[in-house]
Amino acid sequence: MKVVLEKVTKPEDEGAHIRAVKLTEEVRNAVDLLENNCRSIPVTPVQDGRSSGESYMLGTNLIYYTESIDKRTYVYTKEACYETRYRLYELEDILGVNFLRVSKSLVVNIRKVKSVKSELNGRMNAELLNGEKIVISRSYVKDLKRKLGV
Amino acid sequence: MNRIKLIFNQTLMISTAILFGLGIQACAAAVLYGDKQIVWDWYTPFTIIFTGFLCSIPSVIFLEEGETEKSHFFVKVVLHFFAILGVVSLCGKLFGWYSSLRDYLWILLMYVVIYFFVWGATYWLIKKDENKINKALEEFRDEE
Repeated sequence: MKVVLEKVTKPEDEGAHIRAVKLTEEVRNAVDLLENNCRSIPVTPVQDGRSSGESYMLGTNLIYYTESIDKRTYVYTKEACYETRYRLYELEDILGVNFLRVSKSLVVNIRKVKSVKSELNGRMNAELLNGEKIVISRSYVKDLKRKLGV
Repeated sequence: MNRIKLIFNQTLMISTAILFGLGIQACAAAVLYGDKQIVWDWYTPFTIIFTGFLCSIPSVIFLEEGETEKSHFFVKVVLHFFAILGVVSLCGKLFGWYSSLRDYLWILLMYVVIYFFVWGATYWLIKKDENKINKALEEFRDEE
């Protein structure tokens, strides 16, 4: 796709005009990113351990972490849990720079991590902004440090 | 690849620790007994590296990555301690590092000091990392 970038001086003149033959997922993601300053992914709410069937788009800035359990992928926000059709490795690409894999089955939004606490075995326990606790495996601590520029 | 790297690093660290221990032992012998010289057989430097290599194997077996509960981790550390002590004792006997109980007790003392020093240093390093990460997170995290 041809991209034209025009510099303007006033914030009110800022805007994007997308011309596309088909409304593909990439185009939809680009629109999400421009409109909401984040991307969205399709999710289904989970209640009492079951998906409700009703699907809608969830902004990635609301996601605390995503976890893979028994080949199903769950997305957790501050207070709710959703299921998504994406696999964890796909979400790693989709969710963007704020997300990081911290164990074989978990990808966390590092903007939602309140603090970390080390254990002697090299693992770290991370407390999220909603008080939930997750484990960062030893082999992924290096990635976290790199991401944070430590 | 990670295992090879772990074995290589551990071999280097343990060999250095053994040399450090032998250095301390030589200093103590010089001060306490007036032994101003140490005499090594031609193969001694290689035995130190070989022992370092053998001591690295329990680390691969007991301390490799895995989702371990705290209590299991403690058991693994105890097993790791005694496995390495076994290797050091056996190598010491085979390579003639000690000939009397007094020499063996010296080696035992050195081993205990070095083992706990290494864990202490590891704890200090991971706490340092923890502080750095928490400081970086302060600037990074969302306000909620």
